[in-house]
Amino acid sequence: MRETYGKKLPGMKLSDLAGKLIVIEGTDGAGRTTQINLLKPWLEEMGHAVLDTGMTRSPLAGDGIRRAKEGNNLGRVTQSLFYATDFVDRLENEIAPALRAGFVVLTDRYIYSLMARAIVRGVDAAWIRSIYSVALKPDAVFYLRVGIEDLIPRVIFSRGFDYWESGMDLYPAHDMYEAFCNYQKALLGEFDRLSGEFAFEIVDASRDAKTVFAVLKARIRGVLERAPAEITLQEYIASRIDRLVYSPERKPATAVASASASSKGFELVPQPFGGSSPRLNGNGRTA
Amino acid sequence: MDLFQSGLHNAAHTDANGHVKIGPFEVFLPRESFTPAAKPAGHHGYPGRLFIVEGIDGSGKSTQLSLLHKWLEAKGYGVVFSEWNSSPLVKDTTKLGKKKKMLTPATFSLIHATDFADRTEKSILPLLKAGAVVLCDRYVYTAFARDVARGMDRQWLRSLYEFAVKPTVAFYFRVPLETAIGRIAAARDCLKFYEAGMDLGLCDDPVESFRIFQGRILEEYERMIPEFNLTVVDATLPVEAQQAQVRQIAQRHLEDARELRVKP
Repeated sequence: MRETYGKKLPGMKLSDLAGKLIVIEGTDGAGRTTQINLLKPWLEEMGHAVLDTGMTRSPLAGDGIRRAKEGNNLGRVTQSLFYATDFVDRLENEIAPALRAGFVVLTDRYIYSLMARAIVRGVDAAWIRSIYSVALKPDAVFYLRVGIEDLIPRVIFSRGFDYWESGMDLYPAHDMYEAFCNYQKALLGEFDRLSGEFAFEIVDASRDAKTVFAVLKARIRGVLERAPAEITLQEYIASRIDRLVYSPERKPATAVASASASSKGFELVPQPFGGSSPRLNGNGRTA
Repeated sequence: MDLFQSGLHNAAHTDANGHVKIGPFEVFLPRESFTPAAKPAGHHGYPGRLFIVEGIDGSGKSTQLSLLHKWLEAKGYGVVFSEWNSSPLVKDTTKLGKKKKMLTPATFSLIHATDFADRTEKSILPLLKAGAVVLCDRYVYTAFARDVARGMDRQWLRSLYEFAVKPTVAFYFRVPLETAIGRIAAARDCLKFYEAGMDLGLCDDPVESFRIFQGRILEEYERMIPEFNLTVVDATLPVEAQQAQVRQIAQRHLEDARELRVKP
């Protein structure tokens, strides 16, 4: 059965979230988006239905956050909570329904980036952890790690320095370059601290995109083959029944599923248990 | 008021006991980084005063707060009013969520916390530091009551709002459910979707749903009276009698305040 980091949201059934939740983490410029754009078609080619999601993409809070960031008056507690709203909206309405339908969910950043950003801004670490205790534990977290010296040329020669990526709200007296170095260094330090606690699988992202992609492919294959967490017979039956009976609660997931599947021209067959039927032992648990 | 015009920091000194003082007065100086953990426990410790009103819809709390507001202004205090759900940065998102019925108990809770955080960071906290009297119509207790009634975890909510400043006095206007429903029915054409707790699917009839939902909220308020030491006002009494009580209590907390700003 899937777990959360401590608290369960009302109405969130954990027993039937059978898909795979794969997180791609890393600081700005680590190449997360590039990798997700490579991984999604690769997974789809293998027959997996894929949902990709990322920060500020929620229909509820995405626009609000973008508008708030245009000004210079977004406080750090407000910012943290606005992002938490965006995250939970996607968790409840995109991520959980997709997992229920047996999707592979690829998420560009997860709660770890949000925690790191808040903590380097001086927000209390225990407070931000307690908010995100409602998050689902992913099947794997790949942390694309790249040092500051490799990061700088990537940023300079692609899009240039951005106000928020440079943490200009934190270092208003610095120029963008100095602020960027300080801010990204602080973030890297925080990611290193989170890495042990949340079992990040570290991927050296200073190498070229093709090499990183090959590493990720090999590791993700391992995740997909991994047997799902132990479930009870009742949970198993409940999850299958849910798939056969129409339930209005599942509406968003069905909509996502059919849209993605039809656009790719193949039929979606949810395979929540790695494709094989679970073997049940004497006490009603999967072997 | 010269002290404030000359700037807090320049005028401050530390006495032999390590207390920061301006002239003879001990003050709480803003810490460099405001974090939820840095919030002082118990009394908020800022020069200003924070009075808030709580109660279910129809308890008459807003009427009482506006009467207190007028009285304080007449006495010359610098008064600032902050309303629930009014942050210019966040309220459009809340409005969108409510209009399109997109809010779940969790996102309903978080978007209101975001709104409250913006008001805390931009107005409530700095104004209390500056020595203003801040009045809030609804405070964290509204969120605790409503969100628990929607099924959110009590403990999770308590930590969510850890960054909030503890009020000087939290007035709770206690009223029986039927009285409140009678007042609301007389004042309004129809109940709003979230206001009536229609998102919970308790009942198809908005009035009945409102009754069940407000009943749950009332239970939560009762539980919070001892937990947060809320000051209970009997809201079935005449308006004037309630106001006299409110002013008397407020007065007591204004007398010992020597650093309040007065209106220029």
